[in-house]
Amino acid sequence: MQTEILARPAAAVAKLTLNAGETVTCEVGAMCAMSTGFHVETTTRQRGSGGLLAGLKRMVAGENFFLNQFTARADGEHIILGPGLAGDVIHHRLDGGTLIVQGSSWLASGPGITIDASFQGVGKALFSGESVFWLKCTGRGDLLLNSFGAVYSVDIHDTHVVDSGHIVAFEDTLQFSVGKLGDSWLQTLLSGEGFVCHFSGQGRLYCQSHSPKSFGQTLGPMLRPR
Amino acid sequence: MEYEIRNRPAFANVLMRLTRGDSVVAESDAMASMSSSISLRTRWSGGFLSAILRRLFGGESLFMNEYSTASGGELVLTQPTPGDIECIELKGQELYLQAGAFIGCEPTVQMGLGFAGFASLFAREGLFRLKVGGQGKLWFGAYGGIVVKDIQDEFIVDSGHLIAYEPSISLNIGLAGGLFSSLFSGEGLVLKLRGPGRVYLQSRSIEALASWVNSHLI
Repeated sequence: MQTEILARPAAAVAKLTLNAGETVTCEVGAMCAMSTGFHVETTTRQRGSGGLLAGLKRMVAGENFFLNQFTARADGEHIILGPGLAGDVIHHRLDGGTLIVQGSSWLASGPGITIDASFQGVGKALFSGESVFWLKCTGRGDLLLNSFGAVYSVDIHDTHVVDSGHIVAFEDTLQFSVGKLGDSWLQTLLSGEGFVCHFSGQGRLYCQSHSPKSFGQTLGPMLRPR
Repeated sequence: MEYEIRNRPAFANVLMRLTRGDSVVAESDAMASMSSSISLRTRWSGGFLSAILRRLFGGESLFMNEYSTASGGELVLTQPTPGDIECIELKGQELYLQAGAFIGCEPTVQMGLGFAGFASLFAREGLFRLKVGGQGKLWFGAYGGIVVKDIQDEFIVDSGHLIAYEPSISLNIGLAGGLFSSLFSGEGLVLKLRGPGRVYLQSRSIEALASWVNSHLI
């Protein structure tokens, strides 16, 4: 599978070129365009992992209950995948490692990737004020993630602090804890940053330049009630 | 201090590399990520009274965050809306910023609240505006792209598109055309700016986005 990201970062899409028999699994509604040689299957399960339960877990993780699988019937078939949101798409190659992806940032994955929505205790996630669930992606293959805003990566060697609304994904070689910003809880409260995540260890972190929560707080009050 | 405005103009954000002794003041909630070697101090934005007034009338936050470091580190600042970010270096001149445009500045920049007048209020631009002056770099942002315009005499701006202007500019309210076209063109009341001076405009307005979204809500 070859991956090319187009229209970065404002309205990015991923153009994938597949060989015969290769499958890409993606969010329902992510397909923008494709050549005619694909076999399309809508399923609650990803090939080789989970069943109905996995679908339910994904649903609580902010993803769709169903997944679409596109299998190329011939070499060189291509498909364009994109998120509904304005923003960036990135390609991350997994080689046996694990990437923890924020619930709504998963866009698609190639064969060989297993997605598990049961990562981390609820308490920890609740505190961060973000989506309650995270997706744990493991295996060998290609992952496509999307974001609100542009994605930038930080290679962490010791410790780093991230506002909870800006996390897209991180390698599981990083430890993280939710905590305060500054010296005291009062300061954290007054700073307007809310809870932040402290990352430590060695590994890569993907951040998004904009926070959906902050944008929502700006736009929300102007929307009419329903 | 080194800085870089990345991902312009759609999703601009500012990467700052602070070295020992550097510090930067930022709007509350502007920090996206930072090295742990950077520490934070929260303070009233421009003094207690000014902070209260700014909160009440300027639509700004009560508190500002000051980031500093003893050993150096990286800091990423951003804004709530997608759009461009501009940096200008103040050298004693002043600038007025509309509510929400301020992102951050060096601590040598002075911030205060200025009365914008009733013309500004009627054009839905607020009764007060943020006044910045002094010395140092200032970062401010827009929803959409930023258009810089040097005006000599009079210039008309639709409400919601003005983000910053020099104090030499005076604001007046006006109709976009005649009475009929003002009522039916969708332009309504507009701002009439009189120069000479420089204005910064944003290419989109968040109110226009809200009204577009509202019209599509079922």
